[in-house]
Amino acid sequence: MCCRVGVTIMSEKVKLEIYRYNPEQDDKPYMQSFEVPVEKPGMKLLDALNYIKWHLDGSLTYRRSCGEGVCGSDGLNINGVNGLGCITAIEGLKQPIQVRPLPSMDVVRDLVVDMQHFFDQYKQIKPWLQSSTPKPEHERLQSPDERAELDGSYECILCGCCTTSCPSWWWNGDRFLGPAALLQANRWLKDSRDDATGERLDDLEDSFKLYRCHQIMNCMEACPKALNPTKAINDIKRSLAKRKV
Amino acid sequence: MKMNNKQPPLSPHLPIYKWRLTMFASIAHRMSGVFLVLTMPMAFWLLLSMSHGKIMYAYGLSWLQSSTGTVLLWLMCVALFYHLINGIRFLLLDIGKTDSREAMKLSAKIVVFSTIIFALVLAVKI
Repeated sequence: MCCRVGVTIMSEKVKLEIYRYNPEQDDKPYMQSFEVPVEKPGMKLLDALNYIKWHLDGSLTYRRSCGEGVCGSDGLNINGVNGLGCITAIEGLKQPIQVRPLPSMDVVRDLVVDMQHFFDQYKQIKPWLQSSTPKPEHERLQSPDERAELDGSYECILCGCCTTSCPSWWWNGDRFLGPAALLQANRWLKDSRDDATGERLDDLEDSFKLYRCHQIMNCMEACPKALNPTKAINDIKRSLAKRKV
Repeated sequence: MKMNNKQPPLSPHLPIYKWRLTMFASIAHRMSGVFLVLTMPMAFWLLLSMSHGKIMYAYGLSWLQSSTGTVLLWLMCVALFYHLINGIRFLLLDIGKTDSREAMKLSAKIVVFSTIIFALVLAVKI
């Protein structure tokens, strides 16, 4: 039974259309079609990209590492929605599967985009612990409740799926920090061990850095870790409002 | 193999991004807001002029009953209805209610579909 299922699946093929751009050869990007056999049940999009690279066209360029949704390397635009190639199942995707790089980014080659600005924005929110208390001998302790405050923030893998799905960031990405950086900003605001809340809020109180969010919620829809950056941004806005009262 | 130092292409965004209902709800909120800002002065002008005697009232009424007037009035009512209920949705989010992933999607469905029903009912009744 198992083998018969295997054979049936082996004979199936999936059609893909992939965004190609080689700066050394191409004047402009184009879409290239491929057909890939379904090698195993539960095959993921990354498996199909690997098949193309290993068997059909070795020049196809994309980022990947862990292959299981932890490293955040293979953020892609898949059939119009951002997600991770390694955890997006081929099954259920409309064919031909349109694979493009993350939106509104400078394309380095094929599916590889320049993430420099994205990580610069992450750096802007100072994603490290700022404490005014003396360094303890061991770790800084938190109660279970204080630790639970970080749920929904710490899971972020900085894949960029949310930020590059945001129309506000497409238009104002030079100044609007974007969902990923703001989710992390909120993570440090909520951390009981951090003493720089005031300075962090001062830095965020800006009509562009924070308030370009118009609750479009593409970030929440795109997040492969099922997080909610829109809620995090609203939390920051409320923290700013509360300290004025 | 030629090397070129041209600006790298920007990956496509708006034309290829799949429309989600929450995205539509937010953009429709802005569009209905702009539309109302542009048409509200006209509505107030109509109201003021129609209160200036019988002739002006009859003139205003006949314009309202013309096809242009009817369609514009319908559009304004639909835009106002949508902007009001989606505004309430956004206010609830502002105070930290209904801000789970599920509630955000459900509330977008509720405001969009109730506006469609409102628009249809109004089109029949107007």
